[in-house]
Amino acid sequence: MNWIGLYTILRREVERTLHVAVQTLAAPVVSAALYLFIFGGVLGSKIDDFVGVSYISFVFPGILMLSVINASFASSSSSLYFMRFSRAIEELLVAPFSYFEMLLGFVASAVLRALAVGGLILVVGWFFGAVTLMHPIWFVFYVSAIASIFAMLGIIVALWAESFEQLQVLNTFVITPLTYLGGIFYSITFLPETAAAVTKLNPFFYFVDGIRSSMIGYSEANSQFGLVLIILLTVGLATLVITMFRRGWKVRV
Amino acid sequence: MKGTMLEIKNLTKSYGYGDEQKIAVDDISLSVAKGSFFGLLGPNGAGKSTTIHCITGIAQPTSGQILVDGVDVVKNYKQARSKVGLSPQEFNVNIFNTAEQIIDYMGGYYGIKKEAREKRVDELIARFHLEEHRHKVFQKLSGGLKRRVILGRALVHTPDLLILDEPTAGVDVEQRHDLWGYLRELNKRGKTIILTSHYLEEIQELCSDIAIIDNGKIVANGTKQEFMKGGKSVEERYLEITRN
Repeated sequence: MNWIGLYTILRREVERTLHVAVQTLAAPVVSAALYLFIFGGVLGSKIDDFVGVSYISFVFPGILMLSVINASFASSSSSLYFMRFSRAIEELLVAPFSYFEMLLGFVASAVLRALAVGGLILVVGWFFGAVTLMHPIWFVFYVSAIASIFAMLGIIVALWAESFEQLQVLNTFVITPLTYLGGIFYSITFLPETAAAVTKLNPFFYFVDGIRSSMIGYSEANSQFGLVLIILLTVGLATLVITMFRRGWKVRV
Repeated sequence: MKGTMLEIKNLTKSYGYGDEQKIAVDDISLSVAKGSFFGLLGPNGAGKSTTIHCITGIAQPTSGQILVDGVDVVKNYKQARSKVGLSPQEFNVNIFNTAEQIIDYMGGYYGIKKEAREKRVDELIARFHLEEHRHKVFQKLSGGLKRRVILGRALVHTPDLLILDEPTAGVDVEQRHDLWGYLRELNKRGKTIILTSHYLEEIQELCSDIAIIDNGKIVANGTKQEFMKGGKSVEERYLEITRN
């Protein structure tokens, strides 16, 4: 294993993230603070009891997940797309990295950025009294696994995209709608039966439910199914990305 | 000669499929001895850069085999890549990184530990007279300075085989001669160097062996003395071959 090489990829990405910290770290924290103020503080204060917990505690895991997903996806997709665009990807192609190490480098960098954003949002949430951590180990697992999934989706989109506009397609038309419809701000027990059944087909419902159950101990999904789904998606996407790297799709000439 | 540093056997590289297929390199075989200074010549689009891309891992060969110091570049690609340093024709860097970062990151990718890497970066910065430019971002550097950063990056892991694709393009005469001196010094210390250049006097000045590639095929291959038989310059001989 090329550990120094992997550390260098990580170091390079951390330096890139800190170079534009307002965009990469401050912006998601401001967005999360606004969500917490409006949905948790203003609206939530009018709701006495929401499925047995305060409304702000119910919505906080989803708000955190939204930021984690965006940070992770943006990290890997923008990094790899820019490397393709500038041909700096050739620096990695000529260096002694295995395809697994290339994957690990991009994913670890994205997860690190997502965890940094998640950590800052936890601090903000703590000021709003929204943070409960009943199962911290499961919390770290879910956040890291979900960040990994979106880091790998970011890699796939970065390989596919031919323009900066295309880089945003998945985020705009898939990630954002499915996240909002995955039960971040509401309980599926409030939905009509058909809508609740459709929501259960949305993987984002299991993502937010996993994080929520690890934080406040409240779950509306089949947790075991959610866990298996997350593991299968992680392994499946990792296999797909390694295959894409091995074939050199859009990166080798 | 102490053996072979690069062995290319029946290499073919094509792009596209069916009627759209374009063969960039067509069943070429080539051998580069350890310690030689090898000139690879050819017109634009002849297949020089494609061959180099296949050796270094930037392109995947369609068929054939490439061995670097006996190591297969496809089967044992990690081991093979650690033996090769590349200075490509086109700048393939993050233009927002500084000269120092570009060389340092590359040293890291090759697994060089921090202390040794810092020392090596300092050496290369000094060797290529980049001291006052080390903290400047790549896009702010002149063409000649950019070329020197790319050369420093290619040398950071002290490769056994150094491949230089048009290394003096955009470099002024004084710096070109300085670079020639450095390349000769590296070659004397046992490094094998493959050089492509449109400056044929550069090839004549530096190389011990020369091959010409045209339309994806090797059309000439031999020592410099063989090329210059009859008192002809490399340029005259090159024109004779490529115009036929």
